[in-house]
Amino acid sequence: MNKLGYALRRNPAAAVGLVALAAWVVVALVGPSMLRFGHTAMDMESQLSAPGLNGHALGTDALGRDILARIVYGSRSILSVALLTSLFSSIAGVALGFSAGYFGGKIDAAFMRFLDILMAIPPLVLSMVVLGALGDSSVGALTLIVSIAYTPATARVARSALLSCKGLEYVDAARLRGESHAYIMFVEILPNAIGPILVEVTARFAYSIMMIASLGFLGVGLQPPTPDWGMMVIENKTVIREAPWAVLYPSLAIASLVIAVSLISDFLAKVLIHDE
Amino acid sequence: MTNKPLLSVRNLSVRFPSPDGDVVAVRDLSFDLGRRETLGVIGESGCGKSTLSYAIMDYLSPGARRSGAVLFKGQDLLLKSEREMREIRGNRIAMVYQNPYSALNPSLTIGEQLDEVSRAHRGLGKEAAREASLGTLRELSLGDPEGVARRYPHQISGGIQQRVCIAMALLCRPDIMILDEPTTALDVTTEAVILDIVAGLKERYDMSMIYISHDIGIVNKVSDRVAVMYRGEIVEHGPQERIYERPEHPYTRALINCMPRAGVKKESTTLNTIPGYVKRRSADEDGCPFAERCVKRAPGCEDDYGLAEQEPGHFAACGRAYADERPWTREAEAAASATGAEPAPAGADERIAPAAEGGTEPLLSLRGVGKFYRNQKKTVRALDGVDFDVFKDDVLGVVGESGCGKSTAGHVIAGLAAADRGSISFDGGEIAGSWRRRDRRALREVQLIFQNPGRSLNPSFSVQAILERPLKKLLGVKDPAERRRRAVEMLRKVDLGEEYLSRRPRRLSGGEKQRVALARAFLSSPKLLVCDEATSALDVSVQASVLNLLNELQAESGASYLFISHDLNVVNYVSDHVLVMYLGRVCEYGRRDEVVTPPYHPYTEALLSAAPEVDPARRDKPIRLKGSPPDPTRPIRGCPFAGRCHKKIGPVCDETPPPRLALSATHHIYCHLQAEGLQGAVRL
Repeated sequence: MNKLGYALRRNPAAAVGLVALAAWVVVALVGPSMLRFGHTAMDMESQLSAPGLNGHALGTDALGRDILARIVYGSRSILSVALLTSLFSSIAGVALGFSAGYFGGKIDAAFMRFLDILMAIPPLVLSMVVLGALGDSSVGALTLIVSIAYTPATARVARSALLSCKGLEYVDAARLRGESHAYIMFVEILPNAIGPILVEVTARFAYSIMMIASLGFLGVGLQPPTPDWGMMVIENKTVIREAPWAVLYPSLAIASLVIAVSLISDFLAKVLIHDE
Repeated sequence: MTNKPLLSVRNLSVRFPSPDGDVVAVRDLSFDLGRRETLGVIGESGCGKSTLSYAIMDYLSPGARRSGAVLFKGQDLLLKSEREMREIRGNRIAMVYQNPYSALNPSLTIGEQLDEVSRAHRGLGKEAAREASLGTLRELSLGDPEGVARRYPHQISGGIQQRVCIAMALLCRPDIMILDEPTTALDVTTEAVILDIVAGLKERYDMSMIYISHDIGIVNKVSDRVAVMYRGEIVEHGPQERIYERPEHPYTRALINCMPRAGVKKESTTLNTIPGYVKRRSADEDGCPFAERCVKRAPGCEDDYGLAEQEPGHFAACGRAYADERPWTREAEAAASATGAEPAPAGADERIAPAAEGGTEPLLSLRGVGKFYRNQKKTVRALDGVDFDVFKDDVLGVVGESGCGKSTAGHVIAGLAAADRGSISFDGGEIAGSWRRRDRRALREVQLIFQNPGRSLNPSFSVQAILERPLKKLLGVKDPAERRRRAVEMLRKVDLGEEYLSRRPRRLSGGEKQRVALARAFLSSPKLLVCDEATSALDVSVQASVLNLLNELQAESGASYLFISHDLNVVNYVSDHVLVMYLGRVCEYGRRDEVVTPPYHPYTEALLSAAPEVDPARRDKPIRLKGSPPDPTRPIRGCPFAGRCHKKIGPVCDETPPPRLALSATHHIYCHLQAEGLQGAVRL
């Protein structure tokens, strides 16, 4: 803990990122209970009202919905989907990448070629096509498809992290003790390969936020009336001249969250990979 | 050295800033280097030897601070600008590093790299530069300089690479050449050749040398004077033979006595050790740097300290420790320290008596074992039809140059790799080749100790987890309290305490890590312990204590060892039987005393002759091997050693596999020569 404090003091940017992320988590957890307006409630008296007017701190959109409320509610979906996505894609990526690297040979070749094929399709395109075809953009479907789209990159990182440990003698020592492959991979090697993997997980977290926002923007993300930051940007694009705040605030929300997570990711890379 | 010194270092200190205050790497150090003089610098790792050389060259990392003076031909190098230093580096003071491969540019041919030196430093034209390069290579006794010049670094062997690096340093005709462990990465036979070359350089090139090494045997071969460094200070310096014969400082004496020297055997001698380890030195620490580890420490001696002339030309920082023993002789010291478990019977009896009791019933037998590594079209014959036995309660030492198959043999026996051919029987039955097919009993009874303990202990686990896992996995000890009890008991046996349980490997010193690795191996009461260069990565004082521990554990447990090492003196010290290997085959096998005395295989003779000799008086006519081991992918019809053998008799050596020549019931050699032809003068 002391070491973490020391490292954070030397990397003030990371501290800023951590504070910003923590703030968003708090907003998502307790924010909704403190709001004056519901996120779907339409205030017909004050459509497109400017920030601060009629009790709408960040103004309203064309339907008179409170921007603040929609951002606060939206933080829940985006944080949970992003968190689940980075979690699932790293679990799948570590499992695939570790097996490929550990067993090597034909298994490695087969796994890696399969992942190469997945990787050849841009994640955004893949997600759009699948979600469009499914016609279902529930939280579950969104999480699943984004996780799959991000698995190959994580698998590559996990594989190379494993390969850097695989040749070390403690792995041989474990083999000569008759340990199972799973034990060697996940108990002996994983703790020593965790640095690059954790960095990758946080980077994926940031990418997932971007991806979900992009999908919302393109209209294949979460469906209305669920508030989604990306969707808010596109919904209010037409009124950007009259009510720039309706686009500005959700964009700021996306940017602040992505930058916060990226700063943390950079910090982890510095501490976990380069300092050792 | 009556003439004016070429290089005069005066009160040189080097400090590195660190979060816990400055670390002093070199402290108040002074010495002179005369013309045509070689100064050997010895000490354990972390004593500041390399920092000293970098400080002279102004090659220190940013942040390091130097003070004092380095006078080269009367000018202080510390006051020179970077531009002026560039004129001096390479031109006047050249350096040769430990690892020749990383010192050479892999994308340029040797010729291009050598020519560049003459062209950049001496302004020679293309032809003249090439001429100079080839001439220098020839002077370093390289057979085919034109061929070498055409090749890239990866196409030539380590020994030739290092000669190229030396040639590169020589091309500018420097006044001083600094060699920083130039042979540490090389095989003994190659090392011997390089040392011969280095020893002749200063006369031929009229220059002075500073030769840095951790091995006093090597330093003795090339130096006129020796300086012993400890924690950044010179604690003793003087003429080379005086340092060896009459060391005054307790550290020098301890360091020399730590090394398993020629003829020192486990039956008669327990190796000296130095308690503790080399600590970093902080800026505010004063007084004798060695006091904490010194066996001769007396009240008040920490302050009564400073280099003083003990006899003409021989300086030591401590003159009192052994003052009462003068005149001191090495023999007396050896006799006094002969306090082994089994005191040796005097004189010749020792040779005839079996080295240890037991040692006749085979525990492990390899018959016709082959291990091939194939890639694309080529096959490397790492082991090519190897037969030998390891006896019960006996230590078999395995020696040979790198690539001779000794590590592969260890891995095949331990089960890391399955043999492709032949059979291995262990304790009365066949044993499965690979760990995948070995049962728990086999895994338990054959244990492996690796060269690098930093890599064989999982850095994420505590010592407790490292020790308890085999108890659970191999011995099926279910009760956690029982596991802990046994782990602590084993830690005590390797001289570590219970407090080590919670530590991670990162917080252990090299010696402590290897002790933990030994504890892990012995927890499962192995019948056979394979030690693959188990002490090679350790400093001499630590090596001595680990070797002593290995001997103790062996005597106590009755386990057999397969002790693999490139260091003949170490093998000679620990072994009961010795196996000499070359290119995946057995050259010689027998009781230790039979192997290290004539008659022997020509390769054994060459190895013995190449071994760095600590005692300068014990030097015989050296045998130097030509070239390097042949390409292991090429099939060999005759004797693998034929191409380099100094006793080759003719085409029969190339065409017919050498017969097994039994010299006694326990000793055999694979050679076409008869016993009379295998005599030789070298002995260990």
